[in-house]
Amino acid sequence: MNPISDAQAPDTDNDALRYGVVIRPPVYRLDARAFVCSQLLHVDREALAGEGVTVVTDGNFVGVVAASHEAARRAAARLPLRWSTPDRDHKGARPAVTDARLRRDYQWPGRLAWGAEPDWVIADFIDGGLRLAGPVANTERLRGELACLLESDPQRIHIDGDAEAGLGRQGSDDAAADAALLARALGRPVAVRLDPDPYARDAEALARARRLRVSGTADGDDFRVDDDLGYVSVPPLALWLTGRLTDNLLRDPDAAALQFTFVQESFLDEVAAALGEDPVALRLRHIKDPRGRQLLKSVADQAAWDTPAEDDGRADLVRGRGVAYSHRPSESGDAGSGTRSAWIADVEVNTVTGGVRLSRLVAGQDAGADGPLRPLLDASPLRDTLERKLLGLPSTPPPADQWAAPADRKLPAWRPSTPPAHRDAPGTPALSEGVDLSPAVAVVANALYDATGVRFRSPPFSPARVRAALEERARPGKRRWWWAGALAVTGLLATLWPFRPSIAPVARPAANLYSAETIERGRLVAEAGDCAVCHTAEGGTVNLGGRPFETPFGTLYSTNLTPDPDTGIGNWSFAAFERAMREGIGRDGRHLYPAFPYTDFAKISDADMQALYAYLMAQPAVAAPAPQNDLRFPFNIRSMMAGWNLLFHDPSPFKPDPTRSAQWNRGAYLFEGAGHCGACHTPRNLFGAEKGGDARLSGALVDGWEAPALTAASRSPAGWTEQSLFEYLRTGRSEAHGVAGGPMAPVVAGLAELPEDDVRAIAHYVATQMDAPLSDPAQSERAAAVVAASRAEPVGQEAGQRVFEGACAACHENGTATFTSAKQALALNTNLHSQRPDNVIQSILGGVHAEGVAGAGEMPAFAHSLSDRQIVDLVQYLRARFAPGETPWKEVGKTVADLRREHDQQ
Amino acid sequence: MSDALHLTVNGERLAVSAAPSTPLLYVLRNDLCLNGPKFGCGLGECGACMVLVDGRAARSCVLPVGTLTEHEITTLEGLGDGDRLDPVQDAFIEEQGAQCGYCLNGMIMTVRGLLNADPAPTREAVIAALDHTLCRCGTHQEILAAACRAAGLAPSASQGEKE
Repeated sequence: MNPISDAQAPDTDNDALRYGVVIRPPVYRLDARAFVCSQLLHVDREALAGEGVTVVTDGNFVGVVAASHEAARRAAARLPLRWSTPDRDHKGARPAVTDARLRRDYQWPGRLAWGAEPDWVIADFIDGGLRLAGPVANTERLRGELACLLESDPQRIHIDGDAEAGLGRQGSDDAAADAALLARALGRPVAVRLDPDPYARDAEALARARRLRVSGTADGDDFRVDDDLGYVSVPPLALWLTGRLTDNLLRDPDAAALQFTFVQESFLDEVAAALGEDPVALRLRHIKDPRGRQLLKSVADQAAWDTPAEDDGRADLVRGRGVAYSHRPSESGDAGSGTRSAWIADVEVNTVTGGVRLSRLVAGQDAGADGPLRPLLDASPLRDTLERKLLGLPSTPPPADQWAAPADRKLPAWRPSTPPAHRDAPGTPALSEGVDLSPAVAVVANALYDATGVRFRSPPFSPARVRAALEERARPGKRRWWWAGALAVTGLLATLWPFRPSIAPVARPAANLYSAETIERGRLVAEAGDCAVCHTAEGGTVNLGGRPFETPFGTLYSTNLTPDPDTGIGNWSFAAFERAMREGIGRDGRHLYPAFPYTDFAKISDADMQALYAYLMAQPAVAAPAPQNDLRFPFNIRSMMAGWNLLFHDPSPFKPDPTRSAQWNRGAYLFEGAGHCGACHTPRNLFGAEKGGDARLSGALVDGWEAPALTAASRSPAGWTEQSLFEYLRTGRSEAHGVAGGPMAPVVAGLAELPEDDVRAIAHYVATQMDAPLSDPAQSERAAAVVAASRAEPVGQEAGQRVFEGACAACHENGTATFTSAKQALALNTNLHSQRPDNVIQSILGGVHAEGVAGAGEMPAFAHSLSDRQIVDLVQYLRARFAPGETPWKEVGKTVADLRREHDQQ
Repeated sequence: MSDALHLTVNGERLAVSAAPSTPLLYVLRNDLCLNGPKFGCGLGECGACMVLVDGRAARSCVLPVGTLTEHEITTLEGLGDGDRLDPVQDAFIEEQGAQCGYCLNGMIMTVRGLLNADPAPTREAVIAALDHTLCRCGTHQEILAAACRAAGLAPSASQGEKE
């Protein structure tokens, strides 16, 4: 099994396939009145000459095509481009408000959804016809747009995709147009990946596509849309960038009806909330059409509107119900005709993850004279569409604590092209046939308001937006400055005051108090934080505690982390758990020691903290008292830690750096927060606190192992790159470095549970700490030179050489590669180039047994077959042969004797 | 308590009950009664425990079984097809390449692994492949002759003085 899904390895046998990456202008956005965009002034194609890369430009559209996605991405990053600065925005001035009417502003974004997986779009352009495969909806609208873009016939455009309900446009439409332009320029199939850059950026640039202001009297009578700015339907960006957009592409009556119903029904719901009136009653009061009133009544009865949804008592879920009604006049404009729709939706909102589920949807429709009365529609396909299109758009930038589902990066099934067939009939509109979708967005917005009290005045309702809105609502109002000052002083005193109150014990929360999504998120936080590594004794039960930690101040033992009320954390309320995690104070008010890295855990976000609590409380409870700590006086006086915290603990939450990328911030959040990487990799001062400044991440000795430097001071002979850091963290092995051993092995095993993007984010963040490049073509040459230099036998090391020949060479001498040969050259191993021999000696004594780390391999322990003298000889030989440029290690004998003690105990 | 693991040994899919960290050699000899691979040093140094994993030589005393569930394991017992020996085994008989015979499993399996990767190796490659497969009786010349014969090379560096 290969845990890396490699975007460079296409899952297709089509050799003609190329990979495209587009470059957007530095400034581009759709304002309600105009498309604002930098103009392309100059492209320096020469800069990429001879690299097998094709640069495609068309107006302000720029794309790079290469033989692999990675090569295209790299070339795109290096392509020199000059852009103009766009004119100032044309800000739409709002009309002055002159009366006392109620007013609300709504927005409709240009992109409502992302596009289903797999997240690749492949386009092939043959003989004037286009074939597209990927998460692209086969709609007549998109075909018309692509035909306009390519100046081709819509009948010659074939899309391998289902016809989709027309709720709103999706990001894959932009990718489809990009791929189409690139494929036409290349004359061969081109694959484009739905990466957040640029497609989530596109969604952001198009977020203000349409703005609507509604006003009405306080009782909701006589309401109207005052102000209607912008675009109903926003065609793919490529059309805007190439300047090939025509006016008729912007018309979309279905979308207009959907948007109009959204603002009308949201507004009426706001009026009902303000009046304290039942939303259905208010609508019944408003609807003059008897058939419409009849339909709404019938749907409300079917949905049992007056009976609240069942609450199963989950602490992290809130529930709500919403209603929306629309009456779309028929083309004749006859008042008694047209399509009436009434929908009622139930939602479940996860307040921790921001995830929204449509737990129920009841929808009815009456087409009046134009069609049959359908008091109940089959709502399950509608529900799927709503969930996919309204509830899943990633936001840019995502919050640093967002946990992504592992992305499926596989290419769609793709066979070598045949010319697209001529098609007479457009694809059948599978879902939208006969079903008017107008109330779809309003009904979810109103249900969300009922559940959370937050009014969403624009779709979509993605987890990130929902969570941000919930957090915003929970935040207390702005404080006056003196009040803030007084609080700060009180906070200081509270920190310094050595005796903290206990937090009342609670009954152990039921294991099903939290929803499965929250618990799963908590599991990932626990894996990222490696809770179980410290809270599990050697060979003991997971999270039962009892693992000893030798510190300069004495021996500490980890404690029982299972929800046992007496010996674990079963009677800890969330408040108590959070205080322990952020401030290092136990439930009973005792100070905890910073061997428990609350100094890092303070950076964990509120949502992740909740989720972690949910996860731990859902685990089986096991009674196991922790062994008594064995600390020397005065370190056994816990209240001393109050002063320590004042000096060394910064309990402030993690703040993303807005000048850095979302990936960097995600990496920083994982690394500095739950991951607590600095707890081992940063040396500590006399008081056991992590040092700052240049010493940060400069490497330290922990539990008899050296945690190497994660800065430019790294002693790796071949040098790290972001790519090799990712491989190391993901598989436990990097070709040019070595394998994860010692206390790093369980860290890698934990990371294996995390989505690939998270591990990439950590690698990216570490790479910036090391000033390491993304990749380095010279790395393998450098590595080969280091390995070649180690072939020569050192002089005067014959004793060690004999030990090596007997004990090590069978696997470590790369004569003939066998299945059990070591895959990494010793000459490239950072440990042999370090200033200390500790990790080399540890590996010889204890071997390498990295369970759960696929790439680490296995090496037997030699503690019981090699004497101290033999190990010293061997270590000196290894140093002389594999790190010939370094000075010999000193006091190896003493270190061997010291480190052997713990191996002898086993 | 250990769960059942599934191993493919000599073409057969077998369930064994062992902790994932158990060395493959122990499972082969103790659970599956395949005594072709021998216990020598237990530290991957001598090669007496050699088996093939996916056709490549592997020291089974240092391989945790838990990592091998997706691989094909072949022991000395699985080399021939019941009636006929593997050509490597024939060559060792022909050259009488044994004294006590304890190391022979390692020698034969190592040569088989080499020939799987390179059907026509040089004499130097044969020597390098056998470099860390140890014989304590001093039968190296006969073993090397057998290995070379199996590899289609002249069995001995000196002139053929056979018979």
